[in-house]
Amino acid sequence: MDKEVAIIAYAQTPYEADANASREMQVLQVAKAALEAAGLKRDELDTVITANNDYLDGRTISNMRLVEPSGAWRKNESKVEMDGAYAVLYALMRILSGDHGIAMVVGESQASVYAGYVPGTMMLDPTFDRQRGLLNEVSAAALQARAYMHASGVTEEQIAGVAAKNLGNAAKNPLALRSDAGADAAKVLASRMLYSPIRELMTSALCDGACAIILASGKAATKAEKPVWIKGVGFSHDSYLTERSLSRLTSLKDAASRCYSMAGIENPASQIDLAEVHECFAHEELMAYEALGFCPEGEGGAFFDSGATRIDGSLPVNASGGAMCANVVCAAGMARIIEASMQIRGEAGERQVEGVKTALAHGQTGICAQENIVFVLGGE
Amino acid sequence: MEYKNETVSIQGGWPLEHWQWKFESLDLIRKTLEGLKEKKLLALKCRNCGLVYFLPKPYCRCLSIPDQWVEIKDTGTITTYTFTGAWAYEGIQEEGPSGTPMIIAGVVYDGSDTMTVCTLDEAKPEEVSVGMRVQLKWPDEPQGRLDDIAHCVPI
Amino acid sequence: MAKNEVAVVGVGLSKHVSKRRDVNIAELVWEAVSACYEDAGLKPKDIDAFVTGNMPAFEGVNLPEEWGAGHWGAYGKPLLRITTGGTTGGSVAHGGYYAVASGLCDTVMAVAFEKQSDGNSTAGLNTVAIADAAAQFALGVDPGFLAAFGGGAVGVAVYQASSYMKSSGCTTHHLDKVAALCRNNAALNPYSHLKQPGLTPEDVAKTVLMQYPIRFGHVCPATDGACAMIFTTGEKARKLTDKPAYVLSVASCSDEAAMVGIAGSGTTNVDPCAQESCKIAAAKAYELAGIKDPRREIDLAEPYAPFAHQLLMFYERLLLCDEGEAPSVLDSGSMNLDGELPVCPSGGVISTNAIGASAMERVAECALQIMGKCGERQVKKEVHKAVAHGWGGAVNLNVVAVLSDTPRR
Repeated sequence: MDKEVAIIAYAQTPYEADANASREMQVLQVAKAALEAAGLKRDELDTVITANNDYLDGRTISNMRLVEPSGAWRKNESKVEMDGAYAVLYALMRILSGDHGIAMVVGESQASVYAGYVPGTMMLDPTFDRQRGLLNEVSAAALQARAYMHASGVTEEQIAGVAAKNLGNAAKNPLALRSDAGADAAKVLASRMLYSPIRELMTSALCDGACAIILASGKAATKAEKPVWIKGVGFSHDSYLTERSLSRLTSLKDAASRCYSMAGIENPASQIDLAEVHECFAHEELMAYEALGFCPEGEGGAFFDSGATRIDGSLPVNASGGAMCANVVCAAGMARIIEASMQIRGEAGERQVEGVKTALAHGQTGICAQENIVFVLGGE
Repeated sequence: MEYKNETVSIQGGWPLEHWQWKFESLDLIRKTLEGLKEKKLLALKCRNCGLVYFLPKPYCRCLSIPDQWVEIKDTGTITTYTFTGAWAYEGIQEEGPSGTPMIIAGVVYDGSDTMTVCTLDEAKPEEVSVGMRVQLKWPDEPQGRLDDIAHCVPI
Repeated sequence: MAKNEVAVVGVGLSKHVSKRRDVNIAELVWEAVSACYEDAGLKPKDIDAFVTGNMPAFEGVNLPEEWGAGHWGAYGKPLLRITTGGTTGGSVAHGGYYAVASGLCDTVMAVAFEKQSDGNSTAGLNTVAIADAAAQFALGVDPGFLAAFGGGAVGVAVYQASSYMKSSGCTTHHLDKVAALCRNNAALNPYSHLKQPGLTPEDVAKTVLMQYPIRFGHVCPATDGACAMIFTTGEKARKLTDKPAYVLSVASCSDEAAMVGIAGSGTTNVDPCAQESCKIAAAKAYELAGIKDPRREIDLAEPYAPFAHQLLMFYERLLLCDEGEAPSVLDSGSMNLDGELPVCPSGGVISTNAIGASAMERVAECALQIMGKCGERQVKKEVHKAVAHGWGGAVNLNVVAVLSDTPRR
């Protein structure tokens, strides 16, 4: 895609364990802030897409009460019940159709409202897995981690290293919930064991928050300051976790190849300057290196050890701190897109990486990263 | 397609007792409830677009936060209604006070732009209509509960 | 102007009954999906992407496509989940339209379903308001009083019905007539749930009064069912079939929730029968479709009417006649299968309501009527343009799609 749709503004709340605001108020704050950043009025929005999940919000038709706070009152509104990156995709589709010019995308979840991992267990096949009570998001991720470690020869130290890297990066992200400038693998490995090999600091920081992104068609976007263009997008859906090999993120690989062909990327490791990956668990970032083609299959651990993905490396991954520092389930992918955009625009403050022209952002939905979406973004 | 024999069916569920929702509206409504003790209807006005919310609402459809308290009148207009005589639904039986049908009406109080729901007392079902004028029926000693504004009567 | 022309080339429906205990969700959906592949003459490998949705509170499962979609041919394919309550099916169909119109995909299968017997429908509906009701209890409202306002699924509809009757002059006899019209149409539709051939308005009037003015006979059943549609580009559609149904436009509009404000707040959507958002969505859809005079140009309408009065009310709000005129249009016989502007030839939502699928089944019926595939219920007149509608949320969400036998422009 060449300059057809751009991200022209965005906003995110600080990420908190228990925000002193309802989901509606958090959405209103980011929607308003994004409109202000874009220099737009509510009336100028053509369509609004929200990302939220009935089970996380604890109410049916969870978008219904977001109509006014998201700016969607008497507008063409719809809801994607997935990660917010998919809501960005749907807004993109709507603009590309020619029917809409400017779209508001809003994503929210509040971990302080929903009951821990209960909504996750409700994603399990109800006939077997839900009844047996063995699987939940963490135990399933542990199975995934073991399968991957076996297939790629990855060690627990390397997985812990990823978590430490992201927590360290998060120290320079003022919105982060969890950060630790002095984190190292040993510290992560000393944290509480949940399901071997997953330890507490290898899991993402589930929390409260909301994100808003405003997209505009080429015509409207050229008027905006520093538009971030969507160069490519790809998304794919994998088999249920018990029906596929958990050792590879096949659907991410598929999504990336669709995205790269649209964005004209042949050698991702050299053509992409920075990546924001939605790692629900630390090992998924290593799996993503392979699936995204940053390194050959089976070499995720070695690629991490090379230091390439550190903030001062050749391909920084999760300069923001990733989901390790904050994971708002239905907005996490949007946070990745926002960070990639900030890096392209040079707005990332202390964690700014020099010379980011092309950046990748990833979102995922489902247990063990079953569904994946990849965006490639670029500046002028 | 032919029907097979009935198979074992596993019911889904949703343990909502574990969810803990957050509402700004509760703090706002508490202020209104305080006002009820003095038989005052306190509503919240949006300074941006001028809409007046009763009961108070924490955000406005124009994307502003209403923050101006105003007192509105205890007279209003019916915008919608229904009534229930011997209402039976899924085993629930409902009867109105003293055996007469209960009339439930949406009322916009004068000075506000929003509807709240209450019962219309001292009227027969055939008398109620959209646009009908009503007066809030205050209890002798309001307790500062929503029940204080649960009844109105025709003017 | 959309990048791609969009057309429907296949429609599939499952058998619809109240309790499908012989299949699970994935198998139920497969009935619709396999019928859809067959109808379009396509195979799973021909599909570029899936759009899916249901209303998960009814089944008690979160994201059922995670374990179900493999059954439909969706593994290794792009998939987008769109859910918007009662309008879900319509929103999913809109997703299919946009996916093709955007040029990102060529051929997309849209899948919408509900298996209400897996959960408790009234409990599912109550979860709409349970969070807000919890807040009201805390503030001192008698639970019985609140229950009377809600009244389960009929709750909001009774307010809407009495307001509409007062403003339009619609009588309870008109409600009886609507029910009889729809259930007789449903008797001709192999995929409908409540089939009542020969049902008369007098029969309907004898059913029990649930809450004024709604009788048992005026209300939809709770259904298990699924619907699938294949959307593709105009170019591909013309290669696949002689008579595709083009999607000229889609539009939706969301209003403030009526009746139930947030946790007890007031709502500016004060009259649940006004349905301004339906009028806005319809006007936008007609504008995008290049329709200047919907009353003359629309040949068939599938309004989303789980309650009898809504067929008349939405006929008006879809701008097909003046406000207050629909009851007399009904009396004229124009809404019958052999009428000037047949309404709900499928039997409508009042006869079959698999919630998440219902709004898509409206689009599907319009497509089938245009393609001439409706068998016994095929309307007498030739259908060039048809309008499909969906309604939901707390009386505040509306979706509209316009289909045609000829492409846009």
